[in-house]
Order: sequence, then C-alpha cells, then structure tokens
Amino acid sequence: MPGNGYAIRLEGVVKTFGRKVRALKGISFTVPKGVIYGILGPNGAGKTTTLRIIATLVRHDEGVVEVLGHRLPEERAEVRERISYLPEDAGLYHRLTGWENLLYFAMIYADDMESAKEMAARGAELARLPERDLHRKASEYSKGMSRRVALARALMVGADLVLLDEPTSGLDVFSAYTIRKTIKEFAIRSGTTVLMSSHNMLEVEELCDRVILINKGTIVAEGEPEELKRRANASNLEEAFIKLVGEFD
Amino acid sequence: MKGSLYPVVWKELRDMARDIKTLVAISLLPLLMMPLMGVTSIYVQTLQQGVAVVINEDPGTLTIGNATFSTNDLANSIVAALKSKGFRVLNHSVRSYDIMIIIPKGFRANLSSFTKVALIKIVKSVGSAKSNEGENAVQSVLGSFARKVAEAKVRYLGVLAGKPVTPDSVLNPIVYTTVLVGPSGTAVSVEESFRVMLGRILAFSLVFVTTPSIAYITDSVVGEKERKTFEALLATPVPRWSLVIGKTLSASVIGLITGLADAVGLLLFFALPSMTYGVNLFSLLTPGLMAAHVSAVYLSVLASLALILPIVIRSGSYRVAQAFSLAIISVASVVFFISLYADINALTPPLRYVLYVIPYSHAVGMIKQSVLGEASQAAIHALVIIAEIGVLLALAVKLFSEEKIIYSKT
Repeated sequence: MPGNGYAIRLEGVVKTFGRKVRALKGISFTVPKGVIYGILGPNGAGKTTTLRIIATLVRHDEGVVEVLGHRLPEERAEVRERISYLPEDAGLYHRLTGWENLLYFAMIYADDMESAKEMAARGAELARLPERDLHRKASEYSKGMSRRVALARALMVGADLVLLDEPTSGLDVFSAYTIRKTIKEFAIRSGTTVLMSSHNMLEVEELCDRVILINKGTIVAEGEPEELKRRANASNLEEAFIKLVGEFD
Repeated sequence: MKGSLYPVVWKELRDMARDIKTLVAISLLPLLMMPLMGVTSIYVQTLQQGVAVVINEDPGTLTIGNATFSTNDLANSIVAALKSKGFRVLNHSVRSYDIMIIIPKGFRANLSSFTKVALIKIVKSVGSAKSNEGENAVQSVLGSFARKVAEAKVRYLGVLAGKPVTPDSVLNPIVYTTVLVGPSGTAVSVEESFRVMLGRILAFSLVFVTTPSIAYITDSVVGEKERKTFEALLATPVPRWSLVIGKTLSASVIGLITGLADAVGLLLFFALPSMTYGVNLFSLLTPGLMAAHVSAVYLSVLASLALILPIVIRSGSYRVAQAFSLAIISVASVVFFISLYADINALTPPLRYVLYVIPYSHAVGMIKQSVLGEASQAAIHALVIIAEIGVLLALAVKLFSEEKIIYSKT
C-alpha cells in the first residue's frame, strides 16, 4: 500500500527479449522515498530496461515490481498518475514552441487549463530559458536547450517519483552542468524521489544519495557512493565500479 | 482536461497547423492537378492535327424516284466533318495518314439498286489516336446520308406499289420510350440520372483522399517514436483511447482538407468540358449531393485511418504501414471502381456480403442513396461505417502495446 518507506521495490525481476537476450537476470533493489537514487552501469547493462519497467512501459517476465505502493503491471494506471519519466535522448515536438511542449504535458496532468498553465509556468522556470526562447519553435533549440525543456517537462508535473534515463548523455559540459544543477535543486526543494540512470560515474557520485552498480543484467553492488568507494578501496566511483565488476568489457 | 481527449487533439492540431508545407501540398495538388489534367487533355486534343484522305472514285449523281443524290455532296460533307475535328483533308493518296475514305467506282449504281448495297471503304492507320475520332465523324455523315437514301427508296417503292407509305413506319417499325424512375417509382429527369452518375464519379474520387491521411497518422505514431517524443508521453497518465481517438480525429482533418480540395479539383475538371461542350454539370450539384459527398469523404478517411491504425500501433514500422496502406488503398480503389459500373446491392450474395463488410461500400451507398433522395437509407449506410470505425478503433486501443511501440524497428 502507498505510504511504505520505499518508493520502489524490485524483487527478482527478470526480463527477456525474444529467446536469447536476457536483459535482467533477477535484479532486486529498494529505493527509499525522498532520495536521488542512481543506476550505474555500462551500455547494455540493463539500466534503461529497469527504468522502462518502473515507468510502466515494459512488462517484466518474473519477479515483483512495486512502485509507490502499486503492483506492476496490474496497477499501471495508478503508477502513471504519480510518476514522470525522461527517456534517454527524449525529444520535443519540434513544431511546437518550448512553452507549448510544457503546456501539452501539463494539460495531461492538470484538472483544468488554469492549473495546466501554472504547471507549465513552473516548467518554464525549471527550464531556465529566457522568455523569447520559450516562445520559439523547439526545432530552433540547441540540444542543451531541448534537454532542459524535456527535463523541466518531467519535473514540473508534481510527480512523487521522477525517472531520468541518462539525463546528460551527449551534452556539452555547460549543458550537463545546468541539468545536474536543476536536478539537485529540484530534489532538495521538493523532496521528490528521483531514480536516474547514467554511465557517467562522476555525475552519479555528485548527484546520488545511493547507487546500484549493474552489469549484464545483474546488480554488482548497492550502497552510498562513499561506501562503495570504501568497499572497493577506490578513489572514485569509476574505479570502484571497475574493481567491483572485476572485468573490462 | 486530465483523462480527456483535449490535450492530444490540441497538440496534434497545433502540430499540423504549423506544417504549412504539407498542408499546402495536400490542398494544392488535387486542386491544381485535376483541372490541369483537363486543360492539358483538351488543349492537346486541339493541337493534334490528323491527316485524312477522301477520294471519290465515282463522282456524279444518282436518282431514286424523284430524289437526286450526289457523291460529290457526300464527299464534301465528309470533308467538312473531318475538318471540324481538326483534320487536314487531302483528295489524293499519300503515304502517311490517319484515316482514308474511299467512295469506290460503282458506288452510285449499287446505291440506286434495290438488290445490292453500296460500299464505302474506311482505312484507319493502326496506332493513330485521331483515326477513331475521324471514323466517328464519317459514320455520322454516312448515317445521315444513308437514311435519306433509304427514305427515298421507301417512298419510290410506295409509288410503284400504289400505296401510301410513311418511310418511318418501314424503316423504324418499332419505337420505344425509356422512362427513368427513382426508388419511389416516380419518374426522374435525365438530369437527375446524370446527378447519380456524377455521384458515382465523386465517390470514385474518394480513392485519392485516403493516402495523405494514412501517411499522416503513420507519421503521427511512428514519427513520434522516431523523434523520441512518444516514450515520455506513454509514461504519462494520458489514456490510450485518447491517444488513438485524438490522433485519428486529427489525421482525419488532413483527409477532410484533401477531400474538399479533391472535390473542388474534380469540379474544375468538369467545368472544362462544361465550357467546351456546353453541358452545365454544375447545375447537377445540389447542396444535398455535396453534403453527402463531404460526409462520405470524411467517413472514408476515418475508416482508412481506423483500418491502418491497429497495424501501425502493433508494428510501429513505416515499411509495414506503407505495405498495408497500399493494400487498403487498393481495396478502396476496387470498391470505388466497382461502384462506378455496378450496384453493390444487386450483386450475388457472396460478393455482396464481402463488399458490405468493407466500409468504403457504405460510403458509396451514402452518396448513391442521397442522390436518389433516400435519406434514411443513406443514414443506415453512414451508421454502418461509423460502427465499423468504432470497432476498428476499439481494436486499436486493445492492441496498444507500449513495449511493441518502443522496441519495434521503424
């Protein structure tokens, strides 16, 4: 039931694509409420599949998935009401302006137009775009601007759980910094649970309260970044990951 | 607003309105292409000059009773008819020609005889587009000439027999009249029957309106996935039915615009023969027929979208969508083509029932029944299409699979 101390609970979750590709091999972890939780791993580790299962987009084959006290896939509708999701490389509707992109998603969550506009205005603040840029078509945006609007779209809706898949992937240093800053400030201010995936160890180290290291569909380690570094006797998370995984791909 | 259709329709229409190039293309192409086809075909016809040869090997006159006929006059009439059709007419043989008419020696003797028939030789050049036109003109002149000769012969035979004779009663002993009636059994004018034919032609034009809307909805689903906007949307509480219905209704606007542009283009296409041949086809277009046409266009577009949507949603692939849209357009073409020449209600059972299942048959039925003044029958056809669309859209909602959409290859 909602109200337990965790936002997400996965127990022995297995996901297979076709007959051969075993993307998740029975992963289990629990995300406490109000933390920024990181899923770290190389490409193809199973990060996106895990996020998609929690985001109600993919059905797991075995195991238990509970999100905000709701069982998946049975209670997908209830979960969708309370989460927001930023997929990797999420795009904008390029013929709509930045404002319209925000307003569209706000209308999906809000009860009336007035609330939707308030929500979109909150998104505009989070996107940190000047007024004139906000009313330009998204096709004219740089990659960094697009990602800021896409992130704002995910953060503005007042979700209890925000899922972010590689939020800074492919961005330049400045844009990535702005995105990280926005996520950090948002989480501190709102107390919302954030589950984000990344293969950028430094980013996770900077943002996340707790982390799971995942490789080839299996969880290698779980804990606070400092604890993982200590456990692996490493100076940073990247080194810790390599030591804990114990192999180079 | 939350959980409603509004956000999806709002976004789709806004997106569509900004796609000016597509809107202009789908509106202008049928609007310009149809009249352009009319103009060019008529203009090309006028530019095309055929060569005809008329040779009179048996010049002179002949007498039947007190009537005199001249082969020179016959030849002159043929020449005049051919010239009116744009032929250059020569009176001597040349190597290359489209049509040659020869009045052979002995023609007058045979024509004045009561035991033989007179022969006129028409030689057509194979592959000549103008030769058929020339032959029709010549046949018209010969028909009129032959009738006059036949009347003269009948009158003469009457004189010889000493009996009063009316040539028409000998040459046309049986006459018949045709009365056109509507479904209620009351007579309808020839104009109204033309209106029914016009309705069929308008129905046939539905073939062309389905393509742009199918392309639009395919892009609306597959393109949204490709542009990486769909995944975030699918994780929101937006109801799947509102995505299906919202995208369908929005894409149907494209179909409606195309349909209207196509209808206007078709009317302009008809305007040209109207001006050229003095037939006022516009007088046949009643508000009722136009309303039925627009409704049938809209429902046909919706039906096409409802047919393709489950496939697009399930496959998430442009290629699969294109293959199936081609199949759908082909089925629509067959139905509309059949409807040009046949009455679906009068077909034998297996084929009739197969066609009844296809929504386009009912679109045709709507137009046909409307022009016949059978509003209730037209409404039944409309209801059947709406029901079929409803079933197909429900199927699309049922088949909606986020996983399939995300992981399918575009």
